[in-house]
Amino acid sequence: MLFKILEVYARPDFPEKLRQHVLLSLAALLVAIAIALPVALLIRNTRLGAAIAINIGNVGRAVPSLAILALALPLLGIGFASALVALTALAIPPILINASTGLREVSKDVIDAARGMGLSGGQLLSRIQLPIAAPVIFAGIRTSAVQTVASATLATFIGGGGLGDLIVEGYSSRGPEILLAGALAVAILAIITEVGFGALERVFTPKGLKIAQKRGS
Amino acid sequence: MSNLALLLQDVLQEPQLIDWEWIRENFWEDIVPAVQGHIFLSFVSVALALVIALPVGVFSARYRKVYPPVTFVTGILYSIPSLALFAILISIPGVTIGPAPVIIALVAYSLLILIRNTVAGLDSVPPETIDAARGMGLTNRQILFRVELPLALPVIVAGIRIATVTIIGIATIGAYINGGGLGQLIFDGISRQFPTMIIAGAVLATALAIIADLLLLSLERYLRPWARAGRT
Amino acid sequence: MIEFRQVSKTYPGSDDPVVKDLSFEVLEGEICVLVGPSGCGKTTTMRMVNRLIEITEGEILIDGEPNTAMSATRLRRKIGYAIQQIGLFPHRTIADNIGTVPHLLGWEKGRIRDRVDELLRLVGLSPDEYRDRYPAELSGGQQQRVGVARALAADPPIMLMDEPFGAVDPITRERLQDEFLRIQEDIRKTIVFVTHDIDEAIKMGNKIAILKQGGVLAQYDTPENILSRPDSEFVSSFVGADRVLKRLSLTRVGEMDLEQANGGTSGLPRISDRMTARAALSELLGSGQSRAVVEMEGENRLLTFEAIEALTSTAGQSA
Repeated sequence: MLFKILEVYARPDFPEKLRQHVLLSLAALLVAIAIALPVALLIRNTRLGAAIAINIGNVGRAVPSLAILALALPLLGIGFASALVALTALAIPPILINASTGLREVSKDVIDAARGMGLSGGQLLSRIQLPIAAPVIFAGIRTSAVQTVASATLATFIGGGGLGDLIVEGYSSRGPEILLAGALAVAILAIITEVGFGALERVFTPKGLKIAQKRGS
Repeated sequence: MSNLALLLQDVLQEPQLIDWEWIRENFWEDIVPAVQGHIFLSFVSVALALVIALPVGVFSARYRKVYPPVTFVTGILYSIPSLALFAILISIPGVTIGPAPVIIALVAYSLLILIRNTVAGLDSVPPETIDAARGMGLTNRQILFRVELPLALPVIVAGIRIATVTIIGIATIGAYINGGGLGQLIFDGISRQFPTMIIAGAVLATALAIIADLLLLSLERYLRPWARAGRT
Repeated sequence: MIEFRQVSKTYPGSDDPVVKDLSFEVLEGEICVLVGPSGCGKTTTMRMVNRLIEITEGEILIDGEPNTAMSATRLRRKIGYAIQQIGLFPHRTIADNIGTVPHLLGWEKGRIRDRVDELLRLVGLSPDEYRDRYPAELSGGQQQRVGVARALAADPPIMLMDEPFGAVDPITRERLQDEFLRIQEDIRKTIVFVTHDIDEAIKMGNKIAILKQGGVLAQYDTPENILSRPDSEFVSSFVGADRVLKRLSLTRVGEMDLEQANGGTSGLPRISDRMTARAALSELLGSGQSRAVVEMEGENRLLTFEAIEALTSTAGQSA
């Protein structure tokens, strides 16, 4: 059985499916970051804005991924592009929530001290608020990344390609080795994403904050 | 704003997109059973998950060495994309397609968050309170059930809320392996190229998830009035 | 120096001013303490100097120029700012924290490094040990010292301090106050200092501005005058019924005019000349004697109840 699974990976179309899956996930993630971060920055000072962001985020998190992907079908058609739009929409909520809360959680005293010392608005954002909020923002990106890789599996249902194709192929043609090959590939990709982004998150956490976290402050 | 309204009007009235006739005709035959099946899947999965997660959580909170491996295993289960997990489960000889593997997978997914929140909830009980209870002569068992769990409840319910919403979402995918539920409408709609079914399934699944989220959020707020909205 | 000219602050949507028609002057090299009950607008007043809060009416002049003459950001880089919660940047080292304003002003690295070390020594922290630490590793008292060092970093002529020693226990606070007064003797900054504690105000201030609810100036005077000649019922009750005793804490035994002891000092309690008259009174009462011996300038002098009393009657007292 193991051999048959490995044979699937040796198929000529496997690298293509893997590439599609990674491309789809990465593109959706990057666009989601490009949308969610600026929005979080724009609304960081208004209470209403923050409340709206949190609510959009919460609702967005509750929406089933399959539902969004499926809705893209009648509205946008089949294919890579529609899948990308749907996945981007799904990827935004965790990043938006975390970026918004992360920025708002920067201690008011630290901000007051920084302003009082003469940091301009831009300096306050880039030297104080963003670095301090970075770990939380990154945790949001990590959550979104893992979720997106998982949802990209479903892109197969709307013709978006990716490793989900193998699972569907194995299921419908009763090829258990193809089914398992696809499932394992997706699982491993997801775990790599989780671990990889976890490491990145540690890299992005400023040392002073790591120490503060350890001391529970 | 009026452009959006016009677009929505278009979408709702497009005969090709939503066939209201079909919805009226098949409401009781297809739509209602799908909703019922979905609620059934979700409810059973959450209940089963709690039956496993609560004792494991309590145990892990007491015997901390167990906690990291538990988190590791449930974390791996959580990372595996749902469709892949379904595929792996039905590859196991003896596991047939249908609701069973779907429920197993749904339970597996929610273990991490439920166990983590149980431990966090128990950790949040002030040690002085437990100390006072012990001093008053309560047994360990009584302390657990009368003091610790009630105080840990808000955090645990927060976990239940997230788990429930996740389960409702993933249950849609379970229809692919004959698990039933609203996903069935979606998949049938895709294969028949009939947008009405897709939209009905998708919208209802979303609505179900959001309703569950709001209901549990109010429960959470009721238990913990000082909590801010939107925090997990 | 800093001059407040009929300064008022009313928040939009509110009818009552938070600060009303405030006029007074802080002289160069002096510590002016703003003190009063909560809601009296003392912190608001201080924050109007560096324009963290903008004035509604009136103006604040710094060395003759209105503080609106330059951008707020540039203004703040010339004014030291230390607050109660300190607000150290948790993600930067102590050295980075202290060097924040010099860095903003474009000092070169070597100069910043030297200045950081100098300031750490000034506030009693060993540079080698502390410059590369992070705020979370320091105790409350140490963080508060770093906060003061950070405010002094660019050597601003003016400093704003809002309960800068507030976040620590009373013993540490007293030490920090003493050390700061010692530093001020050397650096002679013009300081606006906010506190709710009248004892701190008396200890730290060259001048005290007592504010009433709604930011109204009740009295602006030296500590001595406020204690011995309170202008109003409000001031005398704010200062406390024990203001005579408080006045005694303004004088050290060593500054008093004491008669010489001519023998007969055995059995009498000894008192240090560094003690305040108030502490000395307490010692004397506790000892059961009516006199104590103080060594001043090499010879023994006598501290008596009469000598202490003489301190209190130098100025007339109001009812």
